[in-house]
Amino acid sequence: MALTREDVRGIAEYARIALSEQELDEMTSYLNEAVELLEPIRAYDLSGIDPTFHPIGDLTNVMASDEPDAHGRSLDLEVALGNAVSTRGRAFRVPSILGDTAEKGAGAEGGDR
Amino acid sequence: MRPLKEVLRDWEAVIGLEVHTELTTLQTKMFCDCHLSHDDPPNTNVCPVCLGMPGALPVPNEKAIESIVMAGLATGCQIQRRSLFYRKHYFYPDMSKNFQTTQGPVAFCMHGHLDLEVAGEGAAERPDCTMEKAADGSYVVPIRILRIHMEEDAAKMVHVGGTEGRITSASESLIDYNRCGTPLIELVTEPDLRTPEEARLFMERLRQTFLALGISDCSLESGSMRCDGNVSIRRRGSRDFGTKTEMKNLNSFKALHDALAYEICRQAELLEAGDVVRQETRHWEPSKRRTVVMRVKETADDYRMYPDPDLAPFDLSDEFIERCRTRIPELPLDKRDRFVATYGLRRTDAAQLAADPMTAAFFEEAARTVATEVVPTVANVIINLLPATKKVMPAQVASLAELLASDALTFAQAREVLELVDGTTDDPQRVIDERGMRQSTDADALAATVEEVLAACADQVRQYREGNRKVVGFLVGQCMRASKGSGNPKLFSRILRERLTREG
Amino acid sequence: MPYIDELSAAEIAAGVARGDFSATEVVRASLDAIASREPDVQAFLQISADLALQTAAVTDARRAKGEPLGLLAGVPVAFKDNMQLVGTRTTCASRMLEHFESPFTATCVQRLLDAGATPIGKTNMDEFAFGSSTESSAFHRTGNPWDTQRVPGGSSGGSAAAVAAGEVPIALGSDTGGSIRQPASFCGVVGMKPTYGVVSRYGVVAFGSSLDQVGPFGRCVCDVALAMDALVVGGRDPLDSMSQSVPASFREQLEEPVEGMRVGVIESLMEHEALSAEVRAALEDARAALETQGVQFVQVALPHMEAAIAAYYVIGPAEAFSNLARFDGVRFGYQEPDCATLAEQTARSRARGFGAEAKRRQLLGAYLLASGVYDQYYYPAQQVRTLITADYRAAFARCDALLLPAAPTAAFRFGEMSTPTQMYAADLFTISNNIAGNAGVSVPVGLGKTSCMPIAAQLQGPAFKDHALLRVARALERGVEDAGRTCSGTVAPGFARMGGVLA
Repeated sequence: MALTREDVRGIAEYARIALSEQELDEMTSYLNEAVELLEPIRAYDLSGIDPTFHPIGDLTNVMASDEPDAHGRSLDLEVALGNAVSTRGRAFRVPSILGDTAEKGAGAEGGDR
Repeated sequence: MRPLKEVLRDWEAVIGLEVHTELTTLQTKMFCDCHLSHDDPPNTNVCPVCLGMPGALPVPNEKAIESIVMAGLATGCQIQRRSLFYRKHYFYPDMSKNFQTTQGPVAFCMHGHLDLEVAGEGAAERPDCTMEKAADGSYVVPIRILRIHMEEDAAKMVHVGGTEGRITSASESLIDYNRCGTPLIELVTEPDLRTPEEARLFMERLRQTFLALGISDCSLESGSMRCDGNVSIRRRGSRDFGTKTEMKNLNSFKALHDALAYEICRQAELLEAGDVVRQETRHWEPSKRRTVVMRVKETADDYRMYPDPDLAPFDLSDEFIERCRTRIPELPLDKRDRFVATYGLRRTDAAQLAADPMTAAFFEEAARTVATEVVPTVANVIINLLPATKKVMPAQVASLAELLASDALTFAQAREVLELVDGTTDDPQRVIDERGMRQSTDADALAATVEEVLAACADQVRQYREGNRKVVGFLVGQCMRASKGSGNPKLFSRILRERLTREG
Repeated sequence: MPYIDELSAAEIAAGVARGDFSATEVVRASLDAIASREPDVQAFLQISADLALQTAAVTDARRAKGEPLGLLAGVPVAFKDNMQLVGTRTTCASRMLEHFESPFTATCVQRLLDAGATPIGKTNMDEFAFGSSTESSAFHRTGNPWDTQRVPGGSSGGSAAAVAAGEVPIALGSDTGGSIRQPASFCGVVGMKPTYGVVSRYGVVAFGSSLDQVGPFGRCVCDVALAMDALVVGGRDPLDSMSQSVPASFREQLEEPVEGMRVGVIESLMEHEALSAEVRAALEDARAALETQGVQFVQVALPHMEAAIAAYYVIGPAEAFSNLARFDGVRFGYQEPDCATLAEQTARSRARGFGAEAKRRQLLGAYLLASGVYDQYYYPAQQVRTLITADYRAAFARCDALLLPAAPTAAFRFGEMSTPTQMYAADLFTISNNIAGNAGVSVPVGLGKTSCMPIAAQLQGPAFKDHALLRVARALERGVEDAGRTCSGTVAPGFARMGGVLA
């Protein structure tokens, strides 16, 4: 099933990457070509085979102790804010969230979690 | 809108809760070693991990995993040995990586339950209750818990330039990542709750349980414990589910109850008028006592969840789970039952003391030193007098209870003494001696007071003689006032009755 | 006095320790060598001269006080520009991070600094490591020191070129689908991708979290072993959940004989249509070089290898989409000015900050993780990973290492690979090893008969048997040297002794 231009527009909106109309055309043909390359994945009988989400090592239960700043990683404010283009006082700054409310209105009020 | 009681005769509400609890008693965040504190100036407790800096990697906090396992064990959940953390994606800057690390289909804790005891007014809200009701109308209902999973909290955002810090009119927002990465457990119930009272009780039980476990300060006001409610209604007898709405901003037990009650009535009004309920998220406005729409959900969100490759899978050992089990202290209901059995307390008093671990410990400390028959008086003092004080010690309460039990002090005097010893190490006994506050049991002195009162209350005396026996209560009160609280009220009552009967 | 490019890392460390020359003299020679080569090679995005001189001064002061010196005392090293190092920018060769000042230092970088290494600079790469030619760098291309009209490979092309051109003896790269082994092959240097978990990923900007692994480049296997010892001697990194401890005994075991060891070859791969004749011939030479040392060859199979590319281009983009979501221009990175809303600012910052391939991978990943699509591609890809891992396990039951090409051809010319998917297919020989997580190393075996460009053999070993794998690599290197066909240990001829006298 080929991806349409509108499908790709939706994916780009979700992934927050603005695309021009021409880029949208290029991206649509790229994605269809790339997805075709992935077909071998579907060529095998995979029933009953467990997925491997984590490569070799068989690590389990990796945890850290509840010790504050055990690794001295706490950042000074200047460093924490140092790479941000927009800040105000001690905080990071973003413009109006209004445009996002259609998708994230609930969480925007901090209630989704 | 029709009142809830009336609505619930025709309609059945189906309620489910999602409860988020921050593990505030831990020292560090969920996936980094940043100090856990929300009170510091913005962006004080941040590091490459919780700021989502490129190249930073998460390592889970072992104590947080222990805490959630304890929460699961205390709520009858099956502890899942094997589970994974997932990445849940959405673009919003309160989550520094633009994904939240949370759990997938399998959570650490699955399929638990809490049994609620519903009594009084609230019990009447469930007329067709299939549970066996006691003589007083109370009933016990099991509420199933679907899961409790582990995740991380988001940063705090302040919306500037709008009204009331609301987002809709803000021109910019400021982000403080101190809270970002705070360990958070999310509990989801099955839709087993049927009334706002049940929902309130469930939340109360859950809060008491988590407080007892010591995993959180469970403050609804400050938001360390947050509750969302899902509610739909259906005609009594129907087994289909209606369209549900989700309620937010339920930051007190009252808000939880009232918002659900409002929403049930609102939905009933819509349906009765032939309208439909829209699937939406609504915001409780406590000042206007109503819910307003925040967001309409047309399609399910696609969060692109997948197992987080940076976090090793969990395969908890029996040893780990047992270690968590041994750390679970006596839970409030067990404590209540023990208080009833051991000390002969009334069930409601025992429940009230057992609800809060600090109070329970205080009670037991005070009860330890007094005779068995004095223990209910200790409970009485703690429940009725202690809330008004700041810093009273168990020994002081014990001493006071003994004085009360031996009729050496009136309750009014006890209140005064508590105020005097509050914040000191003074023995109430000594304070009373110094101030000569002992309760008077001198029958002659009391009889003189009675005479004064009767002389001043001719009306009440007449009413008594006309058969209104209740007026004695008023007269006792007058005697207490006249004696400045130093007379024994039981003795006053007896002398009054004798005197009035004699005259009559 | 010698030229800096005539010395191995081991020789520099020994010379500094003995006092033949100071760490500061080494830095000055390196900076001189770099200055004369960079106009043609352009391996670096940033030269950290001040930091290097400060670090060298510390090393020299330690020596003057008689304090013990580390394994890499005074050795100039370069880091791929996706590795955080305080005092440098970490750009990932992207406009997105053009001005990003490292707020912390990556564990792998710190381990080399702890061993006394001198940080010379940050090397060019494909943007966010998406590519195999370093052509997708947002800043400039890097020339292959053997022929600057050809690509150095990628994505760690800058690190490979810097070592091949004699600018530094050791550089670190990262390998998600061959990004160390393929550029090592193109540039005629040794490049190792250790087993997943052997080197910490903390502080290395993530591409595919379950695939990424950091490893060293050197002009000889010995220097790679030295760098590996420095990387692992500190034990497991508590900051990387997937990190595991291995002994720091890479050099110790290096010269042990390989007689009686068994190496597997996969016939179907050697006859693959994409494989050029000169690479096939070079692999025959590599086999002969090992056979003369008593290595036995056995036929093995990796039946699901054909699916590896597909699995990789599902898992890689999915993880990349997720890892790159954090680049929204809020806390760091490019931010589009004058946007009215957050949504607009995010979408336009990402559109302007990311190059074409970075956008392609992220959108592919976002598509593959969508509900419904996940079950069609992502989940099956992880099941295929199970099959590929099992294939390797079965193969390694019969042999100690596998011999296979590192790339189907020698280095190609700029612009020669025209479409992204054509580029993807060239990763065939390296990708499966990232899927399974085990170790691989690329060893130069001579120049191609038609291209006259370096060609490498790739050796792959079982997980966490990295030491034994490097021992076979050393044997191969020795065998090639004995046959007189070496390009190992030497600087690309056009740049040898070009400035950098140690004085």
